[in-house]
Amino acid sequence: MKETQGHQHPITQMIDEINHIFTDIGFSFEEGPEAETEHYNFDQLNVPKDHPSRDMQDTFWFKSKDVSEPTVLRTHTSPVQARFLEAHGAPAKIIVPGKVFRNEATDATHEAQFYQLEGLHVDKGIHLGHLKGTLEYFFSKFFSGKTEVRFRPSFFPFVEPGVEVDMRLLEGDSKLAGKWIEVMGAGMVHPNVLKAGGVDPDEFSGYAFGMGIDRLGVMKYGVEDVRDFYTGDLRFVNQF
Amino acid sequence: MKVNYAWLKDYVGDALPDTGEVTRLLTEHAFEIDGIETVGSHAVIDVDVLPNRSSDCLCHRGIARELATILDTDLKYDPLAITPNLAPTDQIQVTIADTNACPRFTAALITGIEVKESPGWLKERLESLGQRSINNIVDATNYVMYAIGQPLHAYDADLFPKVNGKWQFGVRFAAPGEVVEILPEGGNSESRQVECVGTELLIVDESSNTPIGLAGVKGGQYAGVHAGTTNIIIEAANFHPTITRKTARRLGIVIDASKRFENEPSRDLPPYGQYKIIKLIEDIAGGTYEGTLDVYPEPKENLAVSVRVSKTNALLGLELSQAEIAAIITRTGSTVTEAEPGVLSCTGPWERTDLLIEEDFIEEVGRLHGLLNIVSVVPEKAAPGAVNVRQYYSEQIRQVLLAQGFSEVITSSFQKKDTIQLQNALASDKSYVRSGLRKNITAALDANFAHTDLLGIRAVKVFEIGTVFGKTESGVGEHLSLAIGVRQKGNGYTPKDDAPLQAAITTLEAQLGVTLESTSEQGVVEVNLSEVFASLPVPATYGTSKERKVTTYTAVSQYPATARDIALWVPAEFEAERVLAILQANASSLCVRIDLFDQFEKDGRTSYAFRLVFQSSERTLTDGEVTNIMDTINQVAEQNGWEVR
Repeated sequence: MKETQGHQHPITQMIDEINHIFTDIGFSFEEGPEAETEHYNFDQLNVPKDHPSRDMQDTFWFKSKDVSEPTVLRTHTSPVQARFLEAHGAPAKIIVPGKVFRNEATDATHEAQFYQLEGLHVDKGIHLGHLKGTLEYFFSKFFSGKTEVRFRPSFFPFVEPGVEVDMRLLEGDSKLAGKWIEVMGAGMVHPNVLKAGGVDPDEFSGYAFGMGIDRLGVMKYGVEDVRDFYTGDLRFVNQF
Repeated sequence: MKVNYAWLKDYVGDALPDTGEVTRLLTEHAFEIDGIETVGSHAVIDVDVLPNRSSDCLCHRGIARELATILDTDLKYDPLAITPNLAPTDQIQVTIADTNACPRFTAALITGIEVKESPGWLKERLESLGQRSINNIVDATNYVMYAIGQPLHAYDADLFPKVNGKWQFGVRFAAPGEVVEILPEGGNSESRQVECVGTELLIVDESSNTPIGLAGVKGGQYAGVHAGTTNIIIEAANFHPTITRKTARRLGIVIDASKRFENEPSRDLPPYGQYKIIKLIEDIAGGTYEGTLDVYPEPKENLAVSVRVSKTNALLGLELSQAEIAAIITRTGSTVTEAEPGVLSCTGPWERTDLLIEEDFIEEVGRLHGLLNIVSVVPEKAAPGAVNVRQYYSEQIRQVLLAQGFSEVITSSFQKKDTIQLQNALASDKSYVRSGLRKNITAALDANFAHTDLLGIRAVKVFEIGTVFGKTESGVGEHLSLAIGVRQKGNGYTPKDDAPLQAAITTLEAQLGVTLESTSEQGVVEVNLSEVFASLPVPATYGTSKERKVTTYTAVSQYPATARDIALWVPAEFEAERVLAILQANASSLCVRIDLFDQFEKDGRTSYAFRLVFQSSERTLTDGEVTNIMDTINQVAEQNGWEVR
């Protein structure tokens, strides 16, 4: 047997692909810590002090003896929004692909760790139409076929208005083609989040979105159990 | 929230379209629909009410109001449109220890009722929502909650001591260790003793300071309504959302009442609940209404919010006129006036506690006008932003290692044992975060070695790039780590594993132009990439994107694979591909791969050695099955004039 090329993990393949798609339209790739303070993971994102997501059932907390301020394994990539706005202000045009953690029972569609793709675009005159156009552009490239997007009402503390995003691949013979699929939550950045980042909501507006990269993998490659991404099993990886 | 279609029609009237259209309208303009079912003769729609609307929409009136808003029509019958006029009573009193925790408390006295079975229509409606009918009084409290969203509780006034001419209620926090006996929960017949920690808000019989219920969460057995009850007190109150939620979550009691209080229903709602239940009880249980106690120390009213036409269009990407925006907001039941040209002053209807800022109203405009009307703005090519060093160099390292036959894994950030333990672990074997990647890479080498035949590889070569955690002076620190591992023998590390590792490191050093500080141990080498990247220049671009093949994944079989080797002398004119094709055609679908692992020529003939790997996705293959396939292959080889060695 000859020495062959190794196989790249589908998650990092997707991240590379996502990065190239967004780089072309002016987004920059940003990162943040996986051990994140409560301040950035929740407070700066307008998540109320008593919001259920802060509960022990949903979030992994570090022991208070180990940290100088309350710290969690980040539950989403959104804290990087807050960090970026605070450090750079507006305009902001970033994506944040990264690992996140949820303290919940695992099954074929849930894993305690997974990858999320955050997007944030804040500038003068940004509206929901920009969000829709950008997502259609992204999905059309990522799924290699013309894709349309629709919004439905939704709620997340860090956006207002908040929307649920469905996508439909219009072309190709993929299993996905022709069906509306719920893919992510998004919306216009909540004025409290802008203000927390030192940005004037009367001057700037912006959209934010967050989707599971694992879930994109389920759609793109037909992976049926998201836990397979993290087993270290080459019978999985070597198919990619 | 389960919604009975006929019940909705009571409120909406003939303007209510069929269930299919209701589903479409709610999905597009308000809430997701989890399903529609038929219970007896009732159509029931399961509406997934959003958290910000759980204050007003966890009831039939709320969903009906929402539909009327979407349809731009008025409700035929609105139970919240009539201001309740409740005669007072001085026979009941309440002492509220913390008015923030309990902003409003009402209690109504009704005498001379008859406890009996509920009428059929009431039973049917509750049963269509999955609620068991108990008796007319308890059913009435549930009915009113599902109708307008106000939770209620009924007491037997004769079992509740009347001291100094008054029934004396109290609302206070529990003392740590205080025990409350609460009603049985779904399916159980035994009441439950709950030991409090001190954060629970209690309803007490003030005359004896006896706890009689967990406020907003669960009522107690105390003075319960029974078959012989004739005089009743109905409680309808408003409790603090967080306090309710904490108690409900801690005790694992999330029931209809707590779900509603958690979402801050309007403080104006309790009298409407009383008004409605008094009428209902008179209808189905008779009796005489005596009066209501209403203590409302913390009034809260919706404030006017300025909504700019320009801001509305700027966020939604629309070009609506001021009149159009005003008309849409008015549909929600809000009061809308022009504050100045281009600015509307909007006050949400009293039952909605979620319309607090300009953006909340803008969202109403967006969803009622229709989010499907948002027009895409196609993004333009733009100058790329700054290159991310971590992504750029990580990707470069990946490509170097892939070229050397290493495959990439991503493993768990959790460990059974390490240095930093989480406060709340998923499981005892996952309670620490990883301080390095070595353990996981070693485990991957061990696990994958069992599959080398199936994978068609001789050695297992893997790497991972991932975040690891460590203690620092200021708390928990983290850095990006790279670990590379090689395993060539099944029984573990051999010194021979070091050479390919060293080669990988050398190539990486050449590519990155740095010396890597690495430690190699038992066939695994680990490098702190954050340190390496800090010294590397920031590149100008990412370069061109790679062509990536589109893969469709096939689930890994859970059953073991079996390998068999065959070595053949073949006439020179048969090249390897042709031999392989003939073997494949005859090896049955159970043969999942064939690899050529040896080849040499002698005396005009070629010797090929192939490894055939067999596996089923449905069962473990028997030795005999595989032998039969190999026998067939041997016969085919002979028919082709090949010599099996």
